[in-house]
Amino acid sequence: MRPPKDFDRPRFLPAFTALVFVFLFAPIALVALFSFNSNRSLQNFEGFSFEWYQRFFENESLRDSLVASLQIAFATMLVATALGTTLAFGLVRARTRWAGSANVLMLIPLVTPEIVAAVSALILFTQIGMQLSLTTIVIAHITFSISYVTVVVRARLAALNPEVENAALDLGATRLGTLRLVTLPELWPAIVAAALLVFALSFDDFVISFFTTGESPQPLPVRIYSAIRFGVTPTINAIGTLMLAFSALLICIAIALPRLVGRRESGLGVLVGRQAA
Amino acid sequence: MLLFAIPLGITLALSFGTTDDFGNAIYGWHPENYEQAFDPLFLPVLLRSVGFALATVGICLAIGYPVAYYIARFGGRYKHVLIALVVLPFFVNYLVRTYAWVALLADEGLVNGVITDAGIRDEGVRFLNTSWAVIGGLVYGYLAFMILPVYAALDRMDPALIEAGKDLYGTRWQTFRNVTMPATFQGVLAGAVLVFLPAVGDFVSAQLLGGPGTYMVGNLIQQQFLGAENWPFGAALTTVLMAFLAVWMILYLRSAARAAREATA
Repeated sequence: MRPPKDFDRPRFLPAFTALVFVFLFAPIALVALFSFNSNRSLQNFEGFSFEWYQRFFENESLRDSLVASLQIAFATMLVATALGTTLAFGLVRARTRWAGSANVLMLIPLVTPEIVAAVSALILFTQIGMQLSLTTIVIAHITFSISYVTVVVRARLAALNPEVENAALDLGATRLGTLRLVTLPELWPAIVAAALLVFALSFDDFVISFFTTGESPQPLPVRIYSAIRFGVTPTINAIGTLMLAFSALLICIAIALPRLVGRRESGLGVLVGRQAA
Repeated sequence: MLLFAIPLGITLALSFGTTDDFGNAIYGWHPENYEQAFDPLFLPVLLRSVGFALATVGICLAIGYPVAYYIARFGGRYKHVLIALVVLPFFVNYLVRTYAWVALLADEGLVNGVITDAGIRDEGVRFLNTSWAVIGGLVYGYLAFMILPVYAALDRMDPALIEAGKDLYGTRWQTFRNVTMPATFQGVLAGAVLVFLPAVGDFVSAQLLGGPGTYMVGNLIQQQFLGAENWPFGAALTTVLMAFLAVWMILYLRSAARAAREATA
């Protein structure tokens, strides 16, 4: 006989959870709503308009910032995904006595506070005489991104059955052929999910960009920060909403892609698994 | 093997870059920077950072545990959707999320508009520049870091254990205290560390939602590098912060390593 279902279900629990969801989403929803407000007020919604979006796209330096952010995120994504995937292979496949400690070392960038990473990057760049620019931001972003890629790809790689690869080798496939025809097709949803995650993280990153950026063009979050410090303006609502829509799009792709190619596990599971590790 | 060694070397070099930043020849060795860090002028800032971060962890736990519990136990087939909804706001830019609270809580913001319009008070309430605003911003920023590991722990737990607690005539509270809490302790620990680490080094929340009276060590560090140009002092502060956090990081990494071993065993 099943126990009554509400044994460990206090009545306040559903309401409380609902409240927390309101707490999580209300501020963001309001930013999105007021980005379409026709006047400057943040208290009254007067009417619908695209004025603030128009202002954003007409502002040349803001546009430059957007382009810079996209470039940074793209470059970071390419390099970090390649390096992180390679590292994942190394960690899973190499049976050395360092593999254990390497697995732990790899987590360090994930738990290091951003400001520490940012300050060290800044000091390092100035020490070796590198001019602060988009390149320095990309290098700093790659540093922290590699670990994310490795964690996500490694989980998938470790779940692969090595016998499938052995079978391919037994059937006369070369090592490269096995990698291309057997391993990578199994792995690519994880790699794509990791790449999108890195893109989103890099595009959104403020602290590290803030410390390693040059004069101009500055990435978008850095620009937003200086704008917020001078007060609340509706243009920030518009930028925030655009970034929100963009991040949401990336997440949807990350979730949907593995499903689209007929795999049962969702990309989100891969991403959430990263937190649970 | 080479493919293994090169990126690992890079990662190693880079991860060590976070710790060896003070041994710089150019800046020399000036222990007085450290004395300055514990100067009565700056010590309150360090203590405040820890206090704010601990308060954030406490509130995140108080909010996050029930939510994780509800989703893990009663989410049913909507479990994954609900947990995705928890993660979703976390992918919205942290600055934008903090800004949303600035817009809400500002003196001419929405909340004060509602308060004055509804006639609750003639004047609005001053929210910004208070400690609570800063802590609230931190909670909002890092809540997902608490919910996810606690959810994972609760999800792994066999629900039959709770039923057994009831069958053995335990009250709800006894069952929770003696069965559920110990079973999810690792998740709570992971969540606490994952929230504490970024919260203690945060400077965005204190900068935007607070004022000079609520500055945290992150603000101080940022000022040294991008304002006052006292890099050695900034580096000393960073090292103090890092050394303090290293204890927590080791704690977390050890528990993560143990979890990994249990998963593979």
